[in-house]
Amino acid sequence: MARAGLFSLVLLTVALGAQALTPSHHLSLSDVERLQGVLSQPFTDLASAYYSIVGLSKLGAAVADENDACQFLKAHLDPMSVDSLFFAAEASQALSDCEIPVSNETRDILLAAVSEDSTVTQIFRAVSALSSLGLPLASQEVVSALVARIAKEDNVLAITTALQTATRLSQQAELGGILEEIEDLAARLDDLGGVYLQFEEGLEATALFVTAAYALSDHVETEPPLKEDQVIQLVNSVFSKKSWDSLSEAFSVACAAAALSENRFHVPVVVSTQGPATVSHSQPVLQLLVTNVLSNPMASASVLLESAQSVASKSVVLSQTPFTLRDGVFQLNFMASQPASGYYQFSVAVSGDSRLVANQVELKVKVSTEVAITNMDLSVVDKDQSIGTKTSRVDYPFKAKGSFTADSHQNFVMTFQLVDVNTGVELTPHQTFVRLHNQKTGQEVVFVAEPDSKNLYKFELDTAERKSEFDSMSGTYALHLIVGDATLENPILWNVADVVLKFLDEEAPTTIQAKTLYMPKPEIQHLFREPEKKPPTVVSNTFTALVLSPLLLLLILWVKLGANISNFSLTPSSVLFHVGHACMLGLMYVYWSHLNMFQTLQYLAIIGSLTFLAGNRMLAQKAVKRIASK
Amino acid sequence: MSNSVISVISRFLEEYKTKTSNKLKVVDAYLFYILLTGALQFLYCLLVGTFPFNSFLAGFISCVGAFILGVCLRIQVNPENKGDFLSISQERAFADFLLAHTVLHLVVINFIG
Repeated sequence: MARAGLFSLVLLTVALGAQALTPSHHLSLSDVERLQGVLSQPFTDLASAYYSIVGLSKLGAAVADENDACQFLKAHLDPMSVDSLFFAAEASQALSDCEIPVSNETRDILLAAVSEDSTVTQIFRAVSALSSLGLPLASQEVVSALVARIAKEDNVLAITTALQTATRLSQQAELGGILEEIEDLAARLDDLGGVYLQFEEGLEATALFVTAAYALSDHVETEPPLKEDQVIQLVNSVFSKKSWDSLSEAFSVACAAAALSENRFHVPVVVSTQGPATVSHSQPVLQLLVTNVLSNPMASASVLLESAQSVASKSVVLSQTPFTLRDGVFQLNFMASQPASGYYQFSVAVSGDSRLVANQVELKVKVSTEVAITNMDLSVVDKDQSIGTKTSRVDYPFKAKGSFTADSHQNFVMTFQLVDVNTGVELTPHQTFVRLHNQKTGQEVVFVAEPDSKNLYKFELDTAERKSEFDSMSGTYALHLIVGDATLENPILWNVADVVLKFLDEEAPTTIQAKTLYMPKPEIQHLFREPEKKPPTVVSNTFTALVLSPLLLLLILWVKLGANISNFSLTPSSVLFHVGHACMLGLMYVYWSHLNMFQTLQYLAIIGSLTFLAGNRMLAQKAVKRIASK
Repeated sequence: MSNSVISVISRFLEEYKTKTSNKLKVVDAYLFYILLTGALQFLYCLLVGTFPFNSFLAGFISCVGAFILGVCLRIQVNPENKGDFLSISQERAFADFLLAHTVLHLVVINFIG
């Protein structure tokens, strides 16, 4: 069984090319305490007493006062109600030395509840009460009632309750059909991002399912059809919530935790480091805690480091080394193999029990060290190299005695090496900055010092080239060296020397504008578009009159020519035509003042068609008259 | 030189007064009126400026369009051109003139703003 499980895990890992899933959530010791606290609240009714007493017993704790609890159960018991009998019977089993009085009537009521007409919950409570009170029950009848009810109530909670009921029945009964429901229910779980597996009904349903599945699997001694990754995803779902809404939810989580820490098939193991996953010369030992989901240490396990691989160089530093167990903590002295500083990927395997799930763990361990600065040489070099360099050596943490002066003909050069204090190996930390700070103006310029191929750091300041960064401010600058890295235990800020820089074309010192950058800016007044300049009204009026004046001229000319309307025949069509035409011209004016194009076109269509018909008639008559008179 | 120009013009005017029928002279007077109106609008635009430009364009295009349509009417109505316009009677020409003017006025009023 375990081999098959291991083989499928290897296959899964190879197939996905990814690491095996490990629990991202479990109940830490403080979580367990909090859970116990929730379950230890004073009893309000028989149901809350049941949840508290049985929940605490699952966590391995006990109620504050067992006698009081027993008295409470007996006082609140209603011998006529199946639910009441269930709560009292189950709770009394969890307490030591608490007996619930049983009568024939009790037995009859409970047996009557086991039938196809009761709900699954009723059947479960009756069966549990019967078995807790030590009364006989017919397992086969129960099975047939359950199977009938499952067909009718096809929801997750009902089937889970049916699974729980089956754990109380005799092993000789036909439990195969009910056992198959575990697989069907598992198929209904929702996979969230490959990390969580839960029912859409919520946490309580998922936790109850886990409890029931493992209880039934233990009872019939058959491994549950859950893959290892699914088990871990269920662990993540059930233990991701650290504060519980109701007593029943807390109870379900307690039951699930107990089921996952003590069952015959799958026991998820949680491997974590005690403290940060860092080793150094002062702390050479890596300490691991190996626990189950309830944070109880697994003393029977043995932990083996399969390989420790450097992330940077991909070389394996250590392999197949066992951890030693001391005071419940697994320890390994990693510094003994003298690793270089940096990050290492640890592959750890936990063995010792064939039931362990997620026992291949990947950890990222940091090896940190201390850095020392050696061979710090400062010099001022002339650009044309004609004058010899004056190099002075400075030792950390002292400051150089004199100050260095560099003007536009010279370069200021700084070289140094960074070495690991313990091994003497040269280091290249992530942050090596050179900071120049002008004390008078508060200006600060930061440069990066880069290592060459021999890991020798060199910083060169060309005053002429860099004057824009300094705003050409001459003066005394304090030079600091900043060294830092994630794997360094002693980051360094060292005032190395004072440097006097002289720039050409020095502008008048401008006050630093940095502060005003984030102040409110001057408000912009919006200028609306100015209306265009119009000519004075007099001019417009004059020209209007002027433009209309040719009309007068036209009328005069027409009169002179003798144009007249003497030929105007007063036929209806000609009257209609002229009226319609006048309307059309009027419509043009109305269009300009009131209407839009669509309305105008509508009116125009009506008037135009009338005018057209009338005009057609009129012109035809005119034509006839003209031809007749020729 | 100027003599011949003056004599040509005076001859032209003489011929015009005598040869052209009254009907055509009526149309010519109308065309002259349109011309004047357009010219005056253009003068205003030159002197005072193009604000509002769309109104100026509408007015000017109205004059230009009316002038063109008037010229078309005159050509079609002129008895000397009868050979070119066999299928188009005078009434038909006038109806076309009116229809085209309707469209022109619609566009002009739309554009005048």
